Amino acid sequence: MSSFMQHLPILLIATPILMAAVTVMLRPRPQFQKVLNIAVTFALVILSVLLLLQVWNEGIQVYEVGEWGKYGVILVADLLSAGMVVLTASISFLSLVYSLDYIEKRSLSSSYFPLFNLLLAGLNGSFLTGDIFNLFVFFELLLLSSCGLVIANEHGGITKSSDKMEATFKYLVLNMLGSIVMLIAVSSLYATTGTLNMADISVKLSAMSAAGTMPWHVFAIALMFIVVFGNKAAIFPLHYWLPDVHPTAPSPISAMLSGVLIKVGVYGMLRVFFLIFRDTMYIFQPVIIYLALATIIVGAISAVAQTDVKRLLAYSSVSQIGYVFLGIGLGGIYAITASLVFLVNHAIAKSMLFLSSGGIIHHAGTRDMRKMGGMVDSSPLLALMFLVGAMSIAGLPPMGGFIAKLVLFDAGIIGKYYFEIGIALIFAVFTIFYMFRAWLLMFWGDKRDVDKYGEYSSRKASPLVMIPIIVLATAILVFGLYAEPLISLATATAGQILDPQPYIDAVLTRVVR
Amino acid sequence: MNNTLLSLTIAILFGIGTFMILRRDIVKMIIGLGILSHAVNLLIVSTGVFAGTKVPIIADDGGHGAAEVTGTIFNDVLSENILAPVLAAGHSVHYVDPLVQALVLTAIVISLATTAFILILAYRIYEEYGTTDISELRRLWG
Repeated sequence: MSSFMQHLPILLIATPILMAAVTVMLRPRPQFQKVLNIAVTFALVILSVLLLLQVWNEGIQVYEVGEWGKYGVILVADLLSAGMVVLTASISFLSLVYSLDYIEKRSLSSSYFPLFNLLLAGLNGSFLTGDIFNLFVFFELLLLSSCGLVIANEHGGITKSSDKMEATFKYLVLNMLGSIVMLIAVSSLYATTGTLNMADISVKLSAMSAAGTMPWHVFAIALMFIVVFGNKAAIFPLHYWLPDVHPTAPSPISAMLSGVLIKVGVYGMLRVFFLIFRDTMYIFQPVIIYLALATIIVGAISAVAQTDVKRLLAYSSVSQIGYVFLGIGLGGIYAITASLVFLVNHAIAKSMLFLSSGGIIHHAGTRDMRKMGGMVDSSPLLALMFLVGAMSIAGLPPMGGFIAKLVLFDAGIIGKYYFEIGIALIFAVFTIFYMFRAWLLMFWGDKRDVDKYGEYSSRKASPLVMIPIIVLATAILVFGLYAEPLISLATATAGQILDPQPYIDAVLTRVVR
Repeated sequence: MNNTLLSLTIAILFGIGTFMILRRDIVKMIIGLGILSHAVNLLIVSTGVFAGTKVPIIADDGGHGAAEVTGTIFNDVLSENILAPVLAAGHSVHYVDPLVQALVLTAIVISLATTAFILILAYRIYEEYGTTDISELRRLWG
């Protein structure tokens, strides 16, 4: 058992890659493919929880792939990585259950499962790797597999495939440019420090900084990393691809993209800036704060005017990711804790909202909110679930989003960032406005355009569609009513982020073969 | 002289690539992305090249030089400005860094995959929209 536990980090990456190959071979037997993939993804959830427990009890876990010490690729699981992996595994399990009934049969059995597994491998890999070039490789893996998934067809064909291609083209071109920038940054970092191991880079850069010989181009490299991770996370000047891509993707994939994929950017920011560029943070913290504020403002104002329900949720994601970055920019253990709590709550609430918006648009047969209305009669459960999610995103009391916003604003006020918190607070009110406007438009009032879109009963949400939504809604309530475990986990994680010495020690005190 | 030429080549490639991705034609954009990724590959290779370098095979050179054979990998000596495996100028033995070539191979394979995908995507977009003009792709606007 102990030897099995040692190999948890690599299992979390290797199993999905293996499953991608297996599901390609199982294409002629769709039923078996489904059952097997659901079982394996559930096993991954268990493995990720085991990894988090192991990290919590025994400290940072380092896995040397190929036993090359710090010169090879290593996987490092600290609390941040392990926590993100748990979040990824659980949301992707629920999305996968949801997609069984949501994605069109032909698309599901041919390419959906392999790509989904590759996406999972890419996500787990980028959270667990301790090697910065490996991070780039996993970024490309999750970019390409998510492009394939955005094009997958859902039942009913509500989104035209030409729209999907246009969105995917934007997404792919921008992210290819982002990966080119990342390659430039990684190779410059390598040329400066002579290593790709993040802990090793950190040691060498702080040695240079202590000796006063830090080259000026380290600041340029750090700026390039802001561009790369900002592009992944869709912060202000680079946010415009997100409202095209997330709505056109099928709903379970939107949930993955908005729930987990944009958090990869946040994770990269936390990892790279607080581990490697610690000594440049004094310049970049104000940059991150003001970019975050601009993101909050642009996302919230754009969301107010939307008529397409998924586009509204996508702009809301832009706005909410700004709050996460605001916490990162404020710095300090309490602000980082707030940012992590916000991240988890947003991931759960937004993926839940995207999943339920999938149920809604199938029920109504359109994505245009102006053509919906009165759906509270025909699907009361969906109405309740959307309300729970909307309240969490808006930050109203019994939900997880309230705790997240409370902690974030508290951290800002303690840090005396009154102006920044003031702006964030004003646009939090915008959030309440646009989320409830969407809910009222869709569920209350009279039925509209019934002759054109049927009686809202063409496709009732099936149990497989409803169960993941209910599970996520329960999680929102639990994190709202009993937030202490999450906050203490986030505090411990923030402590590890701000004091990377244990991480560096765990990675570097290795015997080189 | 060689390094200047190399730097100039990389700079010009970056310039051409940036110019190409600002074109309105999808295919020209993709060509621009290809040129940019090759410019980056050249940049990565150039970080491993030092003047007067040898192939990265550590042979017994009689026990002199910084990287004499000890059976271990290079160690960092910050006081002597050695950040393994990059050796500072002035050391008697210089090696081409083999790692950057591995990095470039990985980057080439990845850019092959993404370019193949985006070419197919461009072809499908041409089928759907009947044009390769990027400014005509605006069904999602608004």
